[in-house]
Amino acid sequence: MRRRDELIVGFTVVIALIAILAGALWLSGTTMSRTPDFRTARFRTVGGLSAGNPVVLRGVRVGKVVSITLEGDEWVEAQFQINDEYDFPEDAAVIAASASLFGEWQAEIISRLQPPNDPNVIADLAAAFAAGDDVWPGATLPDIGQLTAQAGRIATDIATVSSRVQTAFDSNAVVHMQGAIENFSTVTDQINSFALEQTEAMDGLGVSVMSGVGIMTDAAEMLQGTIGRLDSATSQGEIDSIIQNAQALSAEIRDVAITISELIAVIHNNQASIQRVLQGADSVMSDLVAGTGTVGMLISDSALYIETVRTVQEMRSLVEDIKANPRKYFKFSVF
Amino acid sequence: MQQLIFQSIIEALRAVGRFWLFIHDFLLGLREVRIWASLLPGQMRRVGVNSLPIALFISLFIGIVLALLSRYIFTGSVPMYFVGTLVGKSIMMELGPVLTGLALAGRVGANIAAELGTMRVTEQVDALETLAYDTHSYLVVPRVLAATLMFPVIVTLAIAVGLVSGWLTSITLLELSTQDFIKGLRQFYEFKDIWFGLVKSTSFGAAIAFLGCMKGLTARGGAEGVGLATTQAVVAGAAMILVLDAFWAVLLL
Repeated sequence: MRRRDELIVGFTVVIALIAILAGALWLSGTTMSRTPDFRTARFRTVGGLSAGNPVVLRGVRVGKVVSITLEGDEWVEAQFQINDEYDFPEDAAVIAASASLFGEWQAEIISRLQPPNDPNVIADLAAAFAAGDDVWPGATLPDIGQLTAQAGRIATDIATVSSRVQTAFDSNAVVHMQGAIENFSTVTDQINSFALEQTEAMDGLGVSVMSGVGIMTDAAEMLQGTIGRLDSATSQGEIDSIIQNAQALSAEIRDVAITISELIAVIHNNQASIQRVLQGADSVMSDLVAGTGTVGMLISDSALYIETVRTVQEMRSLVEDIKANPRKYFKFSVF
Repeated sequence: MQQLIFQSIIEALRAVGRFWLFIHDFLLGLREVRIWASLLPGQMRRVGVNSLPIALFISLFIGIVLALLSRYIFTGSVPMYFVGTLVGKSIMMELGPVLTGLALAGRVGANIAAELGTMRVTEQVDALETLAYDTHSYLVVPRVLAATLMFPVIVTLAIAVGLVSGWLTSITLLELSTQDFIKGLRQFYEFKDIWFGLVKSTSFGAAIAFLGCMKGLTARGGAEGVGLATTQAVVAGAAMILVLDAFWAVLLL
């Protein structure tokens, strides 16, 4: 009984051990056929890459990330387990990036000479390559979270701008804008009306021009006839007589013009004199109004007027006295 | 009232003391290898191998239900290969160990408590002690060790059956290809997924067997006392499984 129990229990345990080992190896993708190859890549940061993430070459899984360790102050080194022999690019590099929207990451082996079109990635690859050693240079693409955060910041900026626009574009602004639009509509109507009027005027002008052209054509024809008649008149000597008369008349007109010109010059001079007289009169009148000057003082000061009147009366009596008694004032002698 | 509270405190302290004394006796019983080693294979078969049908039956339906539930959850924006991920993670880390443990808490815990309780109330245990047998080496250690060693084995096979049933359900009922199911299964797989479940199941086995032995050997009275001890063993075992499940989750995840 005991031997039977041991056999049954042993069989069960072995089956369970096989299930564990085989299942664990199968699920992890580990193969027992050959010794795996190990490669190392150097990154500034590995982002969300972690041990167990797949390593892919042109989209095909070729291994997995075994370990990630910090190297010094600058670098992180990720060790990859490569399950089989593959022809990697001689200038191989590694890009760590999100493999899907659900958070899993992968390390993709690419050619360093054909990096993704991202200046940060190119710079990281160059820096990791320049650091030397026999490791693949690596760079990390931003993950979904970073892109989402960036999109969030952009959305926040847009919301801020929208808020500002909303603040600036309040109900009053709408009313003003409606008024401006209505005004603009009125102005547009006016311009339209004006344009129509101008168009009609231009049409009229065009008609007038056409009419004028017709008249000018008629005039030209008449002129042509006149010239014809002029030719015939020239042949009879009448034109010479007319020209002589016209010359004489012209000389007379020239003389008259000269006279008029001289007369105008005199008038100009008189005008200047009149201006000066008027200026003087104006000055005198100003003095009179202001009570300055002799006349002004005479006008404004009654005492002086009285004194003047008295002086004049005395002068008149003196003159009468001189007339009456000349010997009193004048004495004549020959010798 | 104060007397009642005082009595309750005294009883609680006595229970803790009995528990630690039982552990002490169990550790002393481990020294008697000659006794328990000969009994271990038989107990491993009774506790482990004989429990396989119920464990595998449960895991079979766990796999089916999880696959169908995954399809129901993931319909829409989530890729269907995540059915494999959900089935694998859930069975390996949680449902396989816990549901198997709960099922075995009823079967194994009740079996041990009833057997040892009957031996106690029929004075067979007293007879062993009279014959100078170490009852812990003879009765407790083989059962606890058998459960501790065999529970991971049972859970391993249960996980395997659950994964296979989930895979079969996916390819037959969910129009999911084998490649997609395996892709999802491998997508987030870590070795920790397996050993985390096995560590838990080991602790579950030890706790169930230990509580069954303790309740059985402390049974008093006749058949009623045996029934009460059996019930207490199952309830305490199930509760301890959930407590340990939370404990390991906090400690290891």
